Amino acid sequence: MVHNLIITGVGGQGTVLASHVVAAAAVESGFLVAVGETFGASQRGGSVTSHVRISRYRRYGPLIPRHRATIIVGFEPLETLRALLNYGNPLTRVIMNLHPNYPLGVLSGADTYPETQALMEAVRRISAGVLAFNATEIAHHMGSPVAANMVMTGALAGSELLPMAVPAYEKVIGELFSGPARQLNLKAFRAGVLVARGDLPAVWGNQVVKDGGK
Amino acid sequence: MPGGPGDLLRQVLQTGQCVSCGLCLDLCPYLQAAAERVVMIHHCGLEEGNCFRVCPRTPTDWEEMDRRVFGAPRADHVLGHYRQILFARATDPVVAAAGQYGGVVSALIIFALDGGKIRGAVLTAGAPGEMPQPALAVSPDEVLACAGSKYSAAPSLRALHEAARRGVEPVAVVGRPCQVLAVRKLQAVQGIEAHHLAGRKVALVVGLFCFWALEPGFHAFLRAVAGKARILKVDFSPESMLVRTDRGPLCKPVEEVRGFIRPACRECFDPTAEFADVAVGSTEYDEAWNTLVIRSKRGEALVRAALEAGAIEVRPYPPERLPALRAAVRSKKLRALEVQASRGESSYLLIPAGYRQALTGRDQR
Amino acid sequence: MSASGVRLDDPGRSVLLTGNEAVARGALEAGIAYASSYPGSPSAEVLEVLAALAEERGFYAEWSVNEKVALEGAAAASLAGLRSICIMKADGLNVALDTLTALSASGTKGGLVVVVADDPGAHSSVKEEDSRYLGKVAHLVILEPADPQEARDMTVAAFGLAEQLRAPVMLRCVTRVCHASGNVVLGTLPPKPAGRPHIGCQERYITHVAYHRIQEERLAQAREIGEGWPFNAYQGPPEPEILVITAGPGYLYAREAVEVLGLEGRVGILKLGMSWPLPEKFLLRHLKSASKVLFVEEVEPFHEENVGYLVACHLEEVFPLALYGKKSGHVAGPKGPGLGEIDVDTVIRALAALAGIPYEAQPGDYGREARELVKKIPRRELGFCAGCPHRASFWALKTAIALDGREVVVLGDIGCYTLGAGRSGHYLMQTVHAMGSGVGMASGLGKLERLGFSQPVVALVGDSTFYHAAVPALINARYNQSRFLLVVLDNGTTAMTGHQPHPGSGVTALGKRVPALSMEEVAGAFGIPVTVHDPYDVKGAVEALYRLLRQDGVRVLVLRRAYALLTARQEKKPRVYVDPKRCLGDACGCHRFCSRVFGCPANTWDAALGRAKIDETVCTGCGVCATLCPQGAIVVEEVTRNGA
Repeated sequence: MVHNLIITGVGGQGTVLASHVVAAAAVESGFLVAVGETFGASQRGGSVTSHVRISRYRRYGPLIPRHRATIIVGFEPLETLRALLNYGNPLTRVIMNLHPNYPLGVLSGADTYPETQALMEAVRRISAGVLAFNATEIAHHMGSPVAANMVMTGALAGSELLPMAVPAYEKVIGELFSGPARQLNLKAFRAGVLVARGDLPAVWGNQVVKDGGK
Repeated sequence: MPGGPGDLLRQVLQTGQCVSCGLCLDLCPYLQAAAERVVMIHHCGLEEGNCFRVCPRTPTDWEEMDRRVFGAPRADHVLGHYRQILFARATDPVVAAAGQYGGVVSALIIFALDGGKIRGAVLTAGAPGEMPQPALAVSPDEVLACAGSKYSAAPSLRALHEAARRGVEPVAVVGRPCQVLAVRKLQAVQGIEAHHLAGRKVALVVGLFCFWALEPGFHAFLRAVAGKARILKVDFSPESMLVRTDRGPLCKPVEEVRGFIRPACRECFDPTAEFADVAVGSTEYDEAWNTLVIRSKRGEALVRAALEAGAIEVRPYPPERLPALRAAVRSKKLRALEVQASRGESSYLLIPAGYRQALTGRDQR
Repeated sequence: MSASGVRLDDPGRSVLLTGNEAVARGALEAGIAYASSYPGSPSAEVLEVLAALAEERGFYAEWSVNEKVALEGAAAASLAGLRSICIMKADGLNVALDTLTALSASGTKGGLVVVVADDPGAHSSVKEEDSRYLGKVAHLVILEPADPQEARDMTVAAFGLAEQLRAPVMLRCVTRVCHASGNVVLGTLPPKPAGRPHIGCQERYITHVAYHRIQEERLAQAREIGEGWPFNAYQGPPEPEILVITAGPGYLYAREAVEVLGLEGRVGILKLGMSWPLPEKFLLRHLKSASKVLFVEEVEPFHEENVGYLVACHLEEVFPLALYGKKSGHVAGPKGPGLGEIDVDTVIRALAALAGIPYEAQPGDYGREARELVKKIPRRELGFCAGCPHRASFWALKTAIALDGREVVVLGDIGCYTLGAGRSGHYLMQTVHAMGSGVGMASGLGKLERLGFSQPVVALVGDSTFYHAAVPALINARYNQSRFLLVVLDNGTTAMTGHQPHPGSGVTALGKRVPALSMEEVAGAFGIPVTVHDPYDVKGAVEALYRLLRQDGVRVLVLRRAYALLTARQEKKPRVYVDPKRCLGDACGCHRFCSRVFGCPANTWDAALGRAKIDETVCTGCGVCATLCPQGAIVVEEVTRNGA
């Protein structure tokens, strides 16, 4: 049994850091981990995708084969659908941030960005269920929109789709950061956990869509 | 006739038709100028644009412009609409001395500034032998610093946008006849709030007589002519160029300068700024005076007020001089029509048949 | 990510490390005394980690000016008896190759390991070069790790091997090792390097053709070592129908492909930890027992060719045997055989075809319901980061060239600004080759006047590239009286690879403050006039470019501005926003200049309002867009210290 997790987003959104937190939490919890990512040009607007593979006994390579992702965590709606189409299957579970980040082609008018609702619905139709919400908005309320990656990580941890317990993640985050950054990231992470558990008060006017799928 | 940047490129910029008025510069980030050459940096991709609408060298219907500016077609097909032609000069000796001839333009602008009719003026700065530059003058001293003919086509209307951005309004524009036309076309643009506003901010348009403008290479030529001497003033007669320097006057036959004439000026139909509120030129007769053509009601009111205030003085235009002026203007217009005929449909000049007949027939006056 | 895992003195513990960190850890465990590198993706982090630990572990680390000098420094340490490591990307090996081929002939003393990182698929490179061919040219032993654990293990082993053979050993990593993370079981950290580095008066390290024989003998010796080397291993049935010969992460892909297809009984995997020289006896033993061979390796068919030759030499022993791989077209990614990176699916397809079993990752209509809702998924193009000074520089250059009116030739180079060849740089760049090549080519073009070439020439180069490879070209240009404008896009750091310092930064890899080597002084010393301008002042930069374009001879314009993201992190950034009353939206003649043409990711479009908008989470506060907006609709609000 291998957990094939894909964390996807756009350069600068902190997907690499999020995958590191998940992977480190897995290693801490005694699992074998392989993470594959490309971050040579990650801050320059391109798609950034991390593959995280968590297993108990057998080592795996850093790339998940096509359509074999068990979980997709998308930091951006368009990238979520892109990853799902390439790596998903009807049993894939999805956690997605609804805050869009427009590609250069969209800004230049050459392309149009699909409706966020349509993206979410498309993801719902071809997956085993989606937890969709605006993590950027929540992170903004927690102190900085940059912490959206930790909100998403929290939602992944809180969803209990992976075999690690929430404190394992918190330990990693606590060790990675210091000072105000540690506070901010832990706060954002915990907000994400609450979202996944359905316990986040609706004070942020945030739409949380939780769908069991087919 | 609508058009966009592609049309501007094909009809004006790539065919040497640009008169470097400067109005399209800074209208968008894509039109810039270097050494009086307007260049499109980037094609914005729009089908229609204000650059095309305001350009004085995109198709322009003369009768429509007459109606728009003066409310009726013209009666005089050589000099256009005018209420009065006078000789005029500044009364302040400092202003008169600074001017090319009688200093009337500077006097009128300073008068309008002092009286609060305008808050600034779009002018052209630059000493003889130097490349002239757009200038936004907000004080009499700044106006005087811009006095004197410049001879090359500085894109001075660029300063109109600077005025809009800086919130300097209303303003006067002093410019060549093609620049006057550009401002009138800007004022005619409908529905686009800000440019409309930029046009509306123009309270007064003073046109300068202009039979041709020279390429910027002229300034280097002039410096070479002057050598080590400092150039004080440059003037042209029909035969020669006169350069006054601190080491005495220099004279060159006008033929040596002809090569510098901007190609676009060959198709100029309007040497006397027909759409201005007032137009000012030399007298070709008396260096201490200007020819002043009062064209609009607004121009008339300004001149009257300036007279009452003693800022300028006038005397009647000598009737015996008028035929010479008419002949010069008429011949310029006829040459433009010849060029237009050779260029056919690509010409910017839309001259109604009536206007054309009246001009090609014998001048009745 | 950090040096914390690499530093741990906890033998036997399994920690999460990237391949780059694992190489650094291996070097640490091997007791290196000297580490040098020029930053290149995907291997830049190796020296970053080593530099962070150099002080506490008592060794020396440096960012060198280029790979050749880096290698010479590491070689010097080796000759003095120290263990040293030199790290570079594949393209860097080309730069260092002259020295490397000589070192292999002269021999070395202390273990010298040359880490070369290939970038299959060119994720952050301009080409996908297979450095194994160059390692072979240099008569080197080439090791290929498959994952971070092996990266650590092989690095440790490589030092021993280098000392045993008295020659450099090459460790060939690929992006999927360097940038992958995985469990690494830590070994023992040795005490700080002891012993005095020394070169005895009888020692000689001379490159001479006479040593070619020694190089060949050394390879024969290495081949023998390889025969029993644990990193060369076979797993699978004793008589497999299909033998997969693989190295690097291809090994893990092959293993998973076998698992996915359930081919454990029919397929054996022979993993080469030593890609050169080949363990011929070991290979032949397994080749004899198989009927089909599939080669799974990154980029070029290196094993395929070399094993193919071995097969040809031993045809009678191995017959019948068919070879499959990139040359046969069986191992092909989406771009075709031998093009781009391979992955598990590449191997699954190849194995399924050879085994004659069908495989479909998902029914062909998976995703149909989603595609019905979302017809088109826009691609994401790469562009300059928000606030990147290069964006302003390219707009200024585009403007100046248009104003100049002549057909200016723009020669590019290697760095973030290579993106200037695309939309981000308005497609201005006409050539992209190698580090400093644009300057050398400009130097060439600038001398063609006598042959009728009259176009003005501009070479663009980054600050780090300037020191790396532009200086000799500049000397040549000055000496041979060329004429061109060199524009240095100076953001004060090696941005492409993660902001490593360079000779102009005034700080070393060890964090020590040193006098910055000013490029004005460098070029100035050659008698070349240098102008410095801030690209954020676009108007002024245009004027400077326009003026310099019209001058003769070699001249340099430095467009200098610190890298935006770094500055934004350091200072409180100004707030930039669009005044919706001043922005005219689509009624403006600019046709969305800020979001559409200038293309900063922070300049977006508010479709509901029909006005431009700034994404303040992305904006760095540089304010360049505000200076270019024709309506002055973009407001820059300086943030004062008390936050008002």
